[in-house]
Amino acid sequence: MSETLSGPLSPAGNGAAAPAPLTLSMQGALNRALGEVLEDNPKALIFGEDVGRLGGVFRITDGLQARFGAERVFDTPLAESGILGMSVGLAMAGFHPIPEVQFDGFAYPAVNQIVSQIGRMNYRSRGALPMPIALRVPSFGGIRAPELHGESLESLFVHVPGLKVVSPADPHQAYHLLRLAGSMPDPVIFMEPKARYWQKGPVDPADAGALEGARIVRSGRHLTLIAWGAMVSRCLQVADLAAEDGIEVEVLDLRWLSPIDADGLAESVSRTRRAVVVHEAPRSSGLGAEIAALVTERCFNTLKAPVERVTGFDVPYPSGDLEDEYIPNIDRILFGIQRVLEHRRG
Amino acid sequence: MAELSFPLPDLGEGLIEATILEWLVAEGDQVERNQPLVEVETTKSAVELPSPQAGTVVKVHGDAGSMIAVGDPLIVFEVPDDTAGIVGTVPAEKPPARRVRLSAVLDDD
Repeated sequence: MSETLSGPLSPAGNGAAAPAPLTLSMQGALNRALGEVLEDNPKALIFGEDVGRLGGVFRITDGLQARFGAERVFDTPLAESGILGMSVGLAMAGFHPIPEVQFDGFAYPAVNQIVSQIGRMNYRSRGALPMPIALRVPSFGGIRAPELHGESLESLFVHVPGLKVVSPADPHQAYHLLRLAGSMPDPVIFMEPKARYWQKGPVDPADAGALEGARIVRSGRHLTLIAWGAMVSRCLQVADLAAEDGIEVEVLDLRWLSPIDADGLAESVSRTRRAVVVHEAPRSSGLGAEIAALVTERCFNTLKAPVERVTGFDVPYPSGDLEDEYIPNIDRILFGIQRVLEHRRG
Repeated sequence: MAELSFPLPDLGEGLIEATILEWLVAEGDQVERNQPLVEVETTKSAVELPSPQAGTVVKVHGDAGSMIAVGDPLIVFEVPDDTAGIVGTVPAEKPPARRVRLSAVLDDD
């Protein structure tokens, strides 16, 4: 558990030679991280649909094929099972694949390769065949995209043993977490909140801050709001509004969805004694249920109310304007907070 | 800002080239997605090509009357870094609005 600055990062304290922090969009931060991963590791390869010549539909791989050549950054056929199947073979042959699945909903055809091979090859081979694969998946909703372009698949991946799952909330986190994911010996599902691609923020390449576990983005003493990905910035807005009403909300960015930082969750909630978890995914068996269980197991005696979940609904993700009703909005999160504040033990 | 080059697309039916009849935009113009860019003539017909995206026209290739092959550069756009991907739109950053107010008696027991 660590605190990371949410305001502009000061160059002071990094030493005179440290480069100044940059202001980048998450797109730019991810692009920069990928370029550096390719520079650092000659075995790293990037491939997927349109990631080469086009530079990706969200321009995350923009310019990388021109810089590193078509043997290291290349386009694949529209076949996600092939993209991930090839990743398995390349990883066995000593490469470090960084494939992209163009949209969350396109990961479904690759689930067999992810579950049956990538998640368990290290275990199956008793460590002889590790799977250093960082799979980038533009994820979650919020951009008025059509069907299968706004899915929240974290519960699916988190349920598979052998995978790590991480989602950055801002450009600084995106830059450093992708650099880390691209150099880890384990398979990592890297869920990029596509609704936050264009928002700019400070990125300090020289000072990552702690990257393991959850992080407290805002401190407060009355209640912990738990979120990840695009919901973190929304929860920060909610915390501002709650403060107008005299409620001090702590915002915890879970960051790593597998493994979950249960100690970090318990540390925060044991102080605030109230918790609301917010996610875009459907409610039933969503990650909020696991978090509610973990918090309850560890904080049962201090909790003032059951852990509240503010989530998407148990229906297919809607397209068009309806997504504003589906994704937890400010009022729904405030209602969740109010329900917890009102709770009285019988 | 980033520059994006748009080549003459495959106009179908095995056509491999087209003649530029008239540019409907000029260098420096701001264009919208689907706005007609240029009228070209093939051996089959004259067609207007719609813009694949919004942006500022940096360069147009070829004057009226010149022949251009499918796949050769046709027009170059400058696009801001925060343009949407090929699918979807950039979410508008609105100031947070609320209807719900919190009320609580916080007994710090």
